[in-house]
Amino acid sequence: MAKSIIDGLFGKSPIRPLQQHMTRAHSCIKQLNDIMIAMQKQDWDAGEKIRTNISKNEQEADVLKKKLRMGLPSTFMMPFSRRDLLDLLLIQDSIANISKDVSGLICNRKMIFPKEISKDVVELTKYCVKTSSKALKAINELDELLETAFGDRERKRVGNIIKEINNLESKTDSIQHKIRKKLFPLESTLPAVDVVFYYRAIELLGELADSAQKVGSRLEVLLAK
Amino acid sequence: MDIILNHGDLLLALAVIFGLFMAWGVGANDVANAMGTSVGSKAITVKQAIIIAIIFEFAGAFLAGGEVTATIRKGILDSALFSENPQLLVYGMLASLLAAGFWLLIASSLGWPVSTTHSIVGAIVGFGAVGVGIDAVAWGKVGNIAMSWIVSPILAGTIAFVLFRSLQNLIIDTANPFDNAKKYVPYYMFLVGFVISLVTIFKGLKHIGLSFPTDTSYYLAIGFGVLVASVGTIIIRRINIDPDENEDFYFTSMERVFSVLMVITAAAMAFAHGSNDVANAIGPLAAIYAVIESGGIIGSKSALPIWILLIGGGGIVFGLITYGHKVIATVGTGITQLTPSRGFAATLAAASTVVISSGTGLPVSTTQVLVGAVLGVGLARGMAALDTRVINKIFLSWIITLPAGALMSILFFFALKGAFSPL
Repeated sequence: MAKSIIDGLFGKSPIRPLQQHMTRAHSCIKQLNDIMIAMQKQDWDAGEKIRTNISKNEQEADVLKKKLRMGLPSTFMMPFSRRDLLDLLLIQDSIANISKDVSGLICNRKMIFPKEISKDVVELTKYCVKTSSKALKAINELDELLETAFGDRERKRVGNIIKEINNLESKTDSIQHKIRKKLFPLESTLPAVDVVFYYRAIELLGELADSAQKVGSRLEVLLAK
Repeated sequence: MDIILNHGDLLLALAVIFGLFMAWGVGANDVANAMGTSVGSKAITVKQAIIIAIIFEFAGAFLAGGEVTATIRKGILDSALFSENPQLLVYGMLASLLAAGFWLLIASSLGWPVSTTHSIVGAIVGFGAVGVGIDAVAWGKVGNIAMSWIVSPILAGTIAFVLFRSLQNLIIDTANPFDNAKKYVPYYMFLVGFVISLVTIFKGLKHIGLSFPTDTSYYLAIGFGVLVASVGTIIIRRINIDPDENEDFYFTSMERVFSVLMVITAAAMAFAHGSNDVANAIGPLAAIYAVIESGGIIGSKSALPIWILLIGGGGIVFGLITYGHKVIATVGTGITQLTPSRGFAATLAAASTVVISSGTGLPVSTTQVLVGAVLGVGLARGMAALDTRVINKIFLSWIITLPAGALMSILFFFALKGAFSPL
């Protein structure tokens, strides 16, 4: 049977796969909250389990990423630029990657933050997860955006979510700043190598929030076309 | 002359058989593309599509197929050049039917997308230019037809773009898409009924012996539009919003309203397709009949007999019943991203373009018009991913089909000439 021209006209929509990928990426970052709980309890068996799970989810996200890339020939006519979509995918993927790095850093070093900043680090993690969950919410609006053909009304709705993302990200910035200020006077009392990795962990958490924010801003570019 | 008097019945019988075969092919194969967007948007089932297609393909062929049939029959060739040897026209038209039919069989078994319209036009031009002489072809008219192949998809795309943008602003991108859909969809229904009936009344009905003055035509078309809108409104009233279904996706209820509209649009599409594509089968038959009926006098003002239109419509329906359901199911299932609102915009734009072409007597490719319309919705940012490789395929099908149809009809032409008029 001849494959009809009409049939060949319709490509596979990249929107659902993109959402699935973001859902996976978010499931990675979400588990950092659990890592923090395990860390506070010094329960490294539980921590290790979570770390393995994050690693597994990160690999799943990778598979989804590759599949989506392969199924997106340059001949596709889409309501957004292909470049923007692939950039967005890469940023989403960095959430999964960095989450894996953070969980690895904490679990492998059996990291214990000094009690002065411990609560703040937990709070920072919570806000990073919140930022990412808003980013996921924005990505999940893509079906509605498509249905309205990226109409002004729906774009405003998504614009508001993106504003929330930006606010949450500034919040993580200020928490980060607060932690660094508290950590500095303690430096001389702590083992130097530990301090280096405290800074590293805080930095990575900051990058996570950044990535989540970039998901929002890249989505904005994608909508604007 | 003798040949026509001696073998007229045999030649006519052959023409009827070949014409029926072509009409069967249109029903079995081409209708699937015409119904593809309707089935693909899940607004109607394959079974419903078949029933709609049977009724409206026949109605379109019978009521509005006359103008394009006239073009195929006597527009492409300069019939004055055949007055010396009218039998050549008979052989040629027979050869064209055979060539187009064979080419379609070969191409679809190889999986190549081809257009019936292009096959038959290529075939007629081929035997005319080579078998009879370059001057036998009315190149001006052929040029117009070729232009219409480029213009019609673009026109459909433009209409679809505008239509979809109006849907977006009036219905989809509003606070209450469901309520607005119920409010505005009847107007679109009116539009469907009005456009289709107006063109049909102006251009189609005269071929079955009906004609109305201009103002009456408009009143009739308005009346028909109102009738369609009223029936639609009654059905739409019974659709209620279901808040549960809109939790995940805010537009589910609204799309159900469009599903109703889609049934009407699918009917319009089937009508349009019937009105344009029937000519591919019965145009050559009508030409042969005219020669034989007049005893070999070319250019006698014989009207298109109604039975020929009936053969065309009947053949399409036969193709649909015997084979069409399989093909429609294949085409419909691959399309996952087409929602009824998109399906509606694209299908109505295509149906209008094709009906207008039918009214103007231009044989166009329904499939390619539909592709243009869907791309139009895509340009309005309404589609997730359209594969533009299809455009290459369309150009490729022109490049292959026209010469292939021509070449085969030349071969058949000389074979028939040799068989019936040995020198």
